[in-house]
Amino acid sequence: MTSASGTPGAMEAARGREGQVFDLGYRRYDGPREGRNRARLAVYKDGLRISLGLGRGGRAKILPWLFVGVAILIGLIFALIAGAVDRVAGAGTAEAANLPSHADYYTGAGILLFLFAAVVGPELLCPDRHNGTIHLYLVRPLTSVDYVLARFLAFMTVMLFVAWLPQIVLLAGLAFGAPQPAEYLQDNWLDIPKFLAAGAAMAVYTTGMGLAVAAFTTRRGYASVGLVGLFLISQFVAGALGETVTGTAGEWLGLISLSDPPLHINELVFQVDDSLNAGQAARDLPTGIRIAAYFVFTLVPIGVLVGRYKRLSV
Amino acid sequence: MDALLRAEKLTKHYGPVVALEAAQFEVVEGVTGLLGSNGAGKSTAIKLFLGLISPTSGSMHVLGVESSESLDVRAKLGYMPEHDCLPNNVSAAEFLTHMAQVSGLPPSQARSRAADTLRHVGLFEERYRPIGGYSTGMKQRVKLAQALVHDPALILLDEPTAGLDPGGREEMLDLVRKTHTEFGISLMLSSHLMGDVERTCDRIIVLEDGRVVQQGEVTGFTEELETIFVEVEERRREFLEALRKLGVEAAEEDSAVIIPEAGEDDYDLISQALVESKAPLRRLGPRRHALSEIFEDPAIPDTQFSPAPAETQE
Repeated sequence: MTSASGTPGAMEAARGREGQVFDLGYRRYDGPREGRNRARLAVYKDGLRISLGLGRGGRAKILPWLFVGVAILIGLIFALIAGAVDRVAGAGTAEAANLPSHADYYTGAGILLFLFAAVVGPELLCPDRHNGTIHLYLVRPLTSVDYVLARFLAFMTVMLFVAWLPQIVLLAGLAFGAPQPAEYLQDNWLDIPKFLAAGAAMAVYTTGMGLAVAAFTTRRGYASVGLVGLFLISQFVAGALGETVTGTAGEWLGLISLSDPPLHINELVFQVDDSLNAGQAARDLPTGIRIAAYFVFTLVPIGVLVGRYKRLSV
Repeated sequence: MDALLRAEKLTKHYGPVVALEAAQFEVVEGVTGLLGSNGAGKSTAIKLFLGLISPTSGSMHVLGVESSESLDVRAKLGYMPEHDCLPNNVSAAEFLTHMAQVSGLPPSQARSRAADTLRHVGLFEERYRPIGGYSTGMKQRVKLAQALVHDPALILLDEPTAGLDPGGREEMLDLVRKTHTEFGISLMLSSHLMGDVERTCDRIIVLEDGRVVQQGEVTGFTEELETIFVEVEERRREFLEALRKLGVEAAEEDSAVIIPEAGEDDYDLISQALVESKAPLRRLGPRRHALSEIFEDPAIPDTQFSPAPAETQE
C-alpha cells in the first residue's frame, strides 16, 4: 500500500472526500422494472440452476452430474467399441456388424433419461410448494401458468442437453475413430438431424411426464417413486398383455408401455425395429398411429401440468 | 392524498362461510394495522388485494388501479406471508437476487438490491449461508427482506410476529417501524395481537367476523382511554382519600388503584396525593391496553390482547 499523505494532491483528495456523504441508509430503486418477461426469464434461469444443482450445496450437484456423466460414458463406450472393432478387423466392420450406434443409444440409455426426469424433475416444482415459496411467486408480476411453463422450458432445456450431449460425444468418437474423420462425417451427416430429432422427442416426453407427476405431490421423493412405478407397472402390464392378447388389440395394448412413446419416434427416425422395451406388438401399428400416440402421451401430461397450476389454490 | 388501497363493499364468501362482508376501508401512507381474531378476515383481505383470490362482490383499488388483476401493480407490492415460504438449500443472497428478478429487476440491479436489503434487515454477515440453517428470527427477516427487495410502494404483512419469542417480536416490530420511518415504504400488517398493532401502527382497521368494526388513528384510540394504575405498599385507603380530595376520580381494582381517562396533569396530582397520604409507592404507570377496551367481545380470549408492559417506578 502506498501512502501519499503530505503531498498537495493527497490533501486535495482528502478535502474532496470531506465533502462526500457516505449515505449507507436506504436507497429507493428507480431503475428499470421489466415486469412479466423478466419474471419469466428469472424463473427459467432458476429452473436451470436447480436442475444442475448450481448455486446450491455440493450434495445438490451429485445426482444430476452423476446422470450426465454416466450418459456421456455410455456414448463414449459405444464409440470406443466401434473404434476398437474397426481397428482390429478393419474399417467399416463395426457398421457392418451392426454394433451399437446413434440409433441404439436411447434404447440402451433411455432408462437413464427416464430416471433423470424422475429424480431431478420434481425438484423444480415440489420444493416450491412444499416450502410455500410458490406464494412468493404468485404475488409477483407473473401468473402461475407463466411460472410452470418457465419451469417446463428450463427442465426441457436440461433434458435436451442430457439427451443430445452423449450423442454428440458418440459422433465425435466415431468420427475421430475413423481413418478419415471428414469422410466419416460426410458419409454419416444424416445421423445428426436424426439423433437431434429422436433426442428432442425423448426430452419433451420425459419432461412432460416428470413434471406432470410432480404437480400432484409436494414431496419430491413421492414424485420420483411414483414416476418410476408408473414406468415399471405400465411396462409390466404391456409386456404381460402382449403375450396373451394377440392381433390388433394386442398391438394397441402395446402402446400403454409408458417407456416406449419416444422410442417409437426413435425407431421411425432411424428406421430400425429393436428399441421398444415392452410394447413390441405396437410396432406393427401404422406409422401415423405411432406418431399420434407419441403426441398424445406427451401433450396430455403437459396439459395436466398446466391445468394443475392454473387452478393452484393459495 | 390518494389511498394506497381502497376496499369498496368488498365481500368474499367461501361457500356458506363469510370471510369478508361489505368491507369498506382505505389504507393511506404510513403503517396500518389490520386487527382481529383468527378468522376475522384479515388474511382474506390481504389475499384479495394481492389478487390471489377474487372477490365475491365489491371492488378494490390497489395503488390507484382497479383490482389487482393487473400484473404490473404487483411489481410495486411486497408480501410477507404468515407461513413458511423460504427454500432451505440456497443462501439468502442468492434467494433475494432471484426474487428481485422475479419482481422485474435486471440481474445486476437485483444483486446489489439484494445485498443492500439484507444489510437493512441485519443479515449482511450471514447472507451466504443456506437459509435452512437460520433461526426463526432470521428467517422472519429474510421473509421481510424478500418483500422489500424490489422497493415496493406498499408491503402487506400477514402476522409478521407469529411464532416469535418476545425478543424476536420486538426486533420484528422495530424493523417494520423502521421500514416506514427510514425507508419511506408504507405497510399494512395483520395481527391478532393488540400490543403489536398499538406499538407499530399509525392507523388501525379492526375486523370482526368479516366486518370492519372500527377504523382510525391509533393515537385517537388510546389517548381517550388512557388509564393510569398505581400500586402502593400500604395506606391504600388514605391514598384514595387524598386523590378524591384533589378531585381525581379513582377506583380500586384488585391490589391497585386505577385512574381511568387520565390526562398528563393527573400525574402531578397523583404524586401530590402520595405525599399527602404518606403511602409508599410500589408501581405506577400508564396501562396502555386501551385498544382492547374497544373490544367487548367475549369470544376473543383476553390473553391475545396482552397489555404493553407498564413502566415501573420505585
